Amino acid sequence: MNPNLTRVTGFVGFALLVVLVFLLPEWISTFRAQQFAYVGIYLIALLGLNILTGYTGQISLGHGAFMAIGGYTTALLMAGNEQFGQEGLLGIGGGMKDVWTIPIAGLVAGLFGLAFGLPALRLSGLYLALATFAIAVALPSVVKRFEEFSGGGSGVNLFGLPELTAGIIPVDIAGRELVFNDWLYYLCWSIALVLFGIAWLILRGRTGRAFRAVRDSETAAVSSGVSLAHYKTLAFGISAAYAGVAGSLFAIATTFVNPDTFPIALSIFLLVGVVVGGLGGLSGLVVGAIFIQFLPLWAQGEGVASRLPGFIVDRTKEPGAPAIIYGIVLILLMFFLPNGVGGLFRRAGQTLTRWRYSRSG
Amino acid sequence: MVAAAFADFMQQVVSGLASGGVYAALALALVIIHRSTGVINFSQGEMATLCTYIAWTLTVNHGWSYWPAFVATVGFSFLFGVVTHRVVIRPVERGNVLRVVIVTIGLLIAINGFVVWQWSGEPQALASPFGTDTLDIGGVIVSVGDIGTIAVTIGIVILLWLLFQFTKVGLALRAAAVNPNEARLVGVRVTWMLALGWGLAAVLGAVAGMLTAPSVGLDPQMMQPILIYAFAAAILGGIDSPLGAVVGGLTLGVMLNLIGVYVDFVGAELKLPVALLVILVVLLVKPSGLFGRPEVKRV
Amino acid sequence: MRRQSALVALAVVSALALGALPGAFAGSTADPGITSTSIVLGGTSPLTGPAAAYASVARGAKAYFDSVNAKGGVAKRKLEYKIVDDAYNPAQSVQATRQLVEQDKVFAIFNSLGTEQNIAVREYLNQTKVPQLFVASGATTWGRDAVKYPWTIGFQPSYQAEGLVYGQYVSKTMKKAKIAVLLQNDDYGKDLLVGLKRGLARSGSKVVAAESYEVTAPDVQSQVAKLKSSGANVLAIFATPKFAIQAFVYANRLAWRPRIINNSVSGASNIMLLASEGGKNKSIEGAISLNFLKDPTDPKWKNDPGMKSYRSVMGKYAKGANVSDVYHVYGMAVAFETVSLFKRLGANPTRAGLLARARSITSPANPFLLPGIAVRTGKGDNFPIQQGQLQRWTKGKWAPFGGLWESDRL
Repeated sequence: MNPNLTRVTGFVGFALLVVLVFLLPEWISTFRAQQFAYVGIYLIALLGLNILTGYTGQISLGHGAFMAIGGYTTALLMAGNEQFGQEGLLGIGGGMKDVWTIPIAGLVAGLFGLAFGLPALRLSGLYLALATFAIAVALPSVVKRFEEFSGGGSGVNLFGLPELTAGIIPVDIAGRELVFNDWLYYLCWSIALVLFGIAWLILRGRTGRAFRAVRDSETAAVSSGVSLAHYKTLAFGISAAYAGVAGSLFAIATTFVNPDTFPIALSIFLLVGVVVGGLGGLSGLVVGAIFIQFLPLWAQGEGVASRLPGFIVDRTKEPGAPAIIYGIVLILLMFFLPNGVGGLFRRAGQTLTRWRYSRSG
Repeated sequence: MVAAAFADFMQQVVSGLASGGVYAALALALVIIHRSTGVINFSQGEMATLCTYIAWTLTVNHGWSYWPAFVATVGFSFLFGVVTHRVVIRPVERGNVLRVVIVTIGLLIAINGFVVWQWSGEPQALASPFGTDTLDIGGVIVSVGDIGTIAVTIGIVILLWLLFQFTKVGLALRAAAVNPNEARLVGVRVTWMLALGWGLAAVLGAVAGMLTAPSVGLDPQMMQPILIYAFAAAILGGIDSPLGAVVGGLTLGVMLNLIGVYVDFVGAELKLPVALLVILVVLLVKPSGLFGRPEVKRV
Repeated sequence: MRRQSALVALAVVSALALGALPGAFAGSTADPGITSTSIVLGGTSPLTGPAAAYASVARGAKAYFDSVNAKGGVAKRKLEYKIVDDAYNPAQSVQATRQLVEQDKVFAIFNSLGTEQNIAVREYLNQTKVPQLFVASGATTWGRDAVKYPWTIGFQPSYQAEGLVYGQYVSKTMKKAKIAVLLQNDDYGKDLLVGLKRGLARSGSKVVAAESYEVTAPDVQSQVAKLKSSGANVLAIFATPKFAIQAFVYANRLAWRPRIINNSVSGASNIMLLASEGGKNKSIEGAISLNFLKDPTDPKWKNDPGMKSYRSVMGKYAKGANVSDVYHVYGMAVAFETVSLFKRLGANPTRAGLLARARSITSPANPFLLPGIAVRTGKGDNFPIQQGQLQRWTKGKWAPFGGLWESDRL
């Protein structure tokens, strides 16, 4: 496709997305706005994961752990851990306003990502995937073990803290009064859109080209002067920082963190979201994020059951049935969208281009 | 005093071997699928759980005794594996590996849902075929059930090894895994060989499930923690190495017990993270696991 | 203690009076979730995930509500009970609870299951003044922190109270017992252990070893072997059914024959029968446990009116469910108590009125609880059930012994 045209459609598409995002709360209930806030959060995590997996070719099954690091950073900076009996060097007084903790959470998770990226250099493919998986598996036990630092299994509660910008009482932003849910929505999506733009800038430049070179062939990348160590670690760092920001917002939105709020399933669903959205593309990830948030709810809802044949409907209310539907939908998606939703978008774009050229020609 | 301490130590080793045998069997299933299809099958544990429920239904609801139910379930699981490959995996086999991985995650969710839907979430018990007797060997109590578990695991591994090394099918299986294109040229029906690999893996999973259910109890989530341990075992041994899977499984079982019991700071809480850390360190020294072949890169 | 109860009373009364007054005078300013024909309740339950076995609680409660609705409901209002899956993940409990409150506009959150799952939404529900009624968890905090959280109330005996009963029992009946404890590594396991130690205080018996396990672990074989090597003569199992069954199985495989105490979460007959390995397990005979529910598999209740109605309700409104699963009985017991609360609320129930009633229950005859066990709350008493019956596993079934145990307010 004509690169100029791609850029133009990209800009137009992004502008449309921005407008849509800011108008959406006008049409939906405030509760829905909260659900869409979670979509924004997942979008951030997926952007980060796609930089690592889709663009650099390093599979991570442990991104939930980086989200947990971000979430705990925010929770502890807000609530402090002296309430759990932590003293001395590791004692955190808390009292930080929620929005200021977000960049710190990204930074902390990013540093963890860089630190993990170094040993990860030795590993490739499946070994790397399972090493990252091991982090997600191990993290909950570690959080529980250091109870005085982290609050242990009982977790950290944020609801009702003065550090939370919005709670029961609406917040006043630029002359508009926002209830908790709408505030969450705008907070998450503002950050998501900015990070979307940053990801796009990173990926279209030199760094992005180096990432793709590493993905397509490590040997070829090295022979053309790309430092594997540098770019792989960098990808890990950026990716983890994105996950950290997502985790931070997740903690603010949920107003509670404990080890079970970042289960292994979260890491797996993030990977599912990236593949459904489309590896190596950004636009489809919005759909990937919607998929993570809404498919489980949809599978549980009345809507599905009423469209199934009578003898099944009787039993769709029983435990387990939503999971069957969810699993089958996921498999079918992989059958019919081999390159995810992003691939569908690209195909649509190509059709559009062909149509344009054939008309002008 | 020393004798008692030694007996305690051996007790932990023995119980580690018993759990490790189960990790080994499931790890072996993962290795077989990885060798043939190049992916990690996330639904391996759930497939095993489903098969174990079949065995349970046969024994409890239809009055079969254990071994006939065992054989029937092994037959079912083989067909189940083959059909799964033909219907669900084959359509996505070409192209990005992650697509297949996501399909196996979809299978995991759907099969788990089906088990809960069909048999509910409450625990059940599958009787042990080896009874509940115990032997006292110098202060170390060894249950006949554990000996049976390890014996059956080893027996299955030997059978598989014989199949792979000394039969025509085994040769074709290996050929299809190592180089599918050349295998096709010499007349191997590669897709059927891959399906056969899935069938064998499902059999191993079912055996692991049926052996472990009498001691850990049967419930829909039974194999999920075991699958994670099997992942670790397969990675430790080398994801391409059947021998590695067995050694990795047994090592992991014993290692977890000894770390949990003898390193006070670690205890039961941290034994899994520490074991994973040990594996990570091993991988840093040997990036393809203990018995894995180093990856050969072609430009 | 007394000061605290006075504070609770004051807090409850003032919090409720403020909310209750408008509702009492004007029917038009009714709370959400209530119309002239229906009352909507909602709760979270682990329909999927590692704790899916507990989904039966919500199912039993729903069956009971359906049976009440079939007879015309409460004051012509049908009780609609929305169950949302949280997969036992507190983050999902938060989202599901907000959905129930903000979108489905429920009147009250009812019997949501799990300790952390309820802690995660407690602040939210209290600040938005939505009742968090009969929490399905035995954490002590539900009753203890009633001053701080007037909109939250528990139901079952607390884990600490249960542990205390075991401790007192051992102190009374054994001299210098050495107790080994297998516990789940979370608040539930730790609360039971705290209670046990308190009950042992100033007796010659003590806890000589405590081994914990993670819910995500495959088995507890190693822990049981280590506990055996401690030389204990009593084993206390503070574990969920899956791991409790394993503990019996592994104790037997290690030829270990301690006296076994099994906590009530895993005390149902069907669980014990699984642990008995078809009668081959020798460690199980003589095990004791505390209980407060009627056991659906116990032949003793064959002609009991309460259990007869249990079976008929299950048959009609929970087709295909396993009737011998005691969690259904729990669900019905809590649903029964809720229905009687609503019956006493009069023509125009309000959220505040519901809570006020829930803090002054006298219900001596819940048909699903063991005879003699009362559901009672009142001034300074915010623990609805505080009694239990010790029972001993004898020849394949539970045999109660001694009188009812009553815990002080923990």
